[in-house]
Amino acid sequence: MPYNYKTELQRYRKYYQSLEPLLEKPRSRAYTAIIFSFLAVSLFGWYAIRPTMETILYLRRQIADETEINKKMEDKISALIEAQAAYQEIAPVLPAVDQSLPPSPDAVPLAVQLRNLASASGTLLTSLQVATVPLIGKDASPSALPGAKPTPGTDNQKAFELSVTVRGPYAALRSFFEGIVSMRRIATVTSATIIAIRPESAATNSAQLGTRFLQLALRLKGYYLVE
Amino acid sequence: MDNDRDLLLISVFTFLTVSLWITFELLKTIKTTTVSSPVQQIVIPLDPKIDIETLTTVVNRKVY
Repeated sequence: MPYNYKTELQRYRKYYQSLEPLLEKPRSRAYTAIIFSFLAVSLFGWYAIRPTMETILYLRRQIADETEINKKMEDKISALIEAQAAYQEIAPVLPAVDQSLPPSPDAVPLAVQLRNLASASGTLLTSLQVATVPLIGKDASPSALPGAKPTPGTDNQKAFELSVTVRGPYAALRSFFEGIVSMRRIATVTSATIIAIRPESAATNSAQLGTRFLQLALRLKGYYLVE
Repeated sequence: MDNDRDLLLISVFTFLTVSLWITFELLKTIKTTTVSSPVQQIVIPLDPKIDIETLTTVVNRKVY
């Protein structure tokens, strides 16, 4: 059956017209106006006001942040200039710092210093053992293995162990001990053992027959700084 | 009449929800810094003072 709009219009006219008396009521008109106002404000608030306000606040925050960053940068530049001047002032003594805390283990120079110290303090160096250290190149400790991330800060400071045994009279051993403490190369004593040795074995090593001889065994830690 | 009231309540709650949402979005924008992490690391303050006393102590120690 073909669609006849005239009959269909007559059929549904009462529904079309039913809205008109509804909107003629003041209460309904007020409700409709309020409802559409709220919906319109919500819609435009979300799609228009929010992006605009966000842009405004973002730009204001960016200006404040950039101003603060600029001030901090200027402060840091001033601090760097001061640090550069201070660095140039202390540049002549920087080798002493490297001697104190070298960038590599430098176990051999430390052993040589201990030998010279023993000689200067009048003791007899009977043994000197150095633990496994990388003589050249990078540290072979687990932290230097591939995949291990170096931790900044105090973790850059590494240490290796040494064992030193010296013989001599008490005064000489004390001098040796104090020498280690006052040595420029930083080494700490982790343990010390002093035992008396038999006079006849000591007499073969020294001309001082009447002196009581002691043996000092030290365990040391030598430090170095990994860049 | 009830139908009108329901629609009004829905529109009011929609308005309130959108208003709160916009407020929180704007607060987040205000609180979030615009400075990138590398720049924050660059501007960490630097103390230019060098411990001269420690350096003197190191220099005065003996080398054998």
